[in-house]
Amino acid sequence: MAPEDNKGKIEDEDVSRRRFFTLMGLGVGWGSLFTALGGVGVGTARYMLPSVLYEPPTVFKIGTPEEYGIGVDTKLKKERQIWVVRNERGLYVMIAICRHLGCTPNFFQDQSLFRCPCHGSIYDTRGNVLGGPAPRTLWRAAVSLDPVDGQIVVSFNTRQDPDPVGTPEGLMVEELSREVEPYFLKV
Amino acid sequence: MLNLLQKIRAIVNKTQVFKSIFRHGYPDTDGNRALVMFSNVILHLHPVRVRRGALKIKFTWCLGGLTFLFFILLAITGVVLMFYYVPDTRRAYNDIRDLGTVIYFGSLFRAVHRWSAHAMVFSVWMHMTRVFMTGSYKPPREFNWVVGVILLVTTLVLSWTGYLLPWDQLALWAVTVGSKMAEATPFIGAAGPFGPELGFTAENDMAFALLGGTVVGQSALLRFYVLHCLALPLLMALFIAVHFWRIRKDGFSGPL
Repeated sequence: MAPEDNKGKIEDEDVSRRRFFTLMGLGVGWGSLFTALGGVGVGTARYMLPSVLYEPPTVFKIGTPEEYGIGVDTKLKKERQIWVVRNERGLYVMIAICRHLGCTPNFFQDQSLFRCPCHGSIYDTRGNVLGGPAPRTLWRAAVSLDPVDGQIVVSFNTRQDPDPVGTPEGLMVEELSREVEPYFLKV
Repeated sequence: MLNLLQKIRAIVNKTQVFKSIFRHGYPDTDGNRALVMFSNVILHLHPVRVRRGALKIKFTWCLGGLTFLFFILLAITGVVLMFYYVPDTRRAYNDIRDLGTVIYFGSLFRAVHRWSAHAMVFSVWMHMTRVFMTGSYKPPREFNWVVGVILLVTTLVLSWTGYLLPWDQLALWAVTVGSKMAEATPFIGAAGPFGPELGFTAENDMAFALLGGTVVGQSALLRFYVLHCLALPLLMALFIAVHFWRIRKDGFSGPL
């Protein structure tokens, strides 16, 4: 290639060698800075999510099925925030959290009803809403039997929450549709 | 590409938000250059007139600025560490262990806090040494030297109160030794000169007030935590503001 062929090309370049390296330097510099800042931001966000928790366990054992008779057992309400309920077909665990605003309802043995002290929601022993502002039925927790010691294992944060049907009596869920694995023990 | 950036800049420059933050044009005239200084809190810290020599790195070595940078780093990482640390003798050490072992970025934040603390103590001493060597403490700047000494003492006390918080053997015995020194304070310490004569015992003297007890225990941990995270940083910020304001008022001494 003859020298005069190249000459025109150099003059046409709108980015000189000096300008090119300046832009590259700026790009690398600012790029590194914002990459580092981004890393710090992501790391700090991750830092705010604790890696260890000092809370009550969400999966726990509550003894063998034989310990629970027909009806609602309220002995674990304070310690574990659950009711253990047995009917003629088996056993399920309901979570003692009102579906209105999260208070803890009380069980009234004489009425066989749960009543929430905060805003008066009423539930039957199946968790159906018979009155008050609660928009959904009580949660049921996932349960299983430990194969080694035969105890009931409750998984507090795995919850059954079916869509209820509005009826003249209240918000209802077909009971047999709720008595399914893993929310029911046929024992 | 560059044209696009220029177009974006032209649009951004006309927005109300931009104009409310930068209340001046480009610093291409003397008037705008002055406005840049007046309207920026950091640039405003410099005196109105500075001798060329006083701005040389070789004159200040940026030591005061470095100290302030470490203080900012300590404030940020300190706030972040407070999310996980509980000043309870039963869990303080475990919280520190959690930060160092399991919490994401925990050991990084703790390391930055620890090394910045060491670096700040060092840079404060170096800054004061520089000020002494260049004679910058002399009148009319002697007031700012006194403020600087208060900042030095606050830095050291901050360092010492932070020392107790990990609640390990080193912390416990370092503060036990330190509080023995408080006990030996003249007039107000039970073991100091004229202390016993003035009625000071182990249950009413300076060390007792500092520890909230006669041994380094839960009260001492809580007191040191409050001093380290709240009282002393506030005092520090106040005196830093005065220090910077005096720099602006007094001007730079500059080399001879």
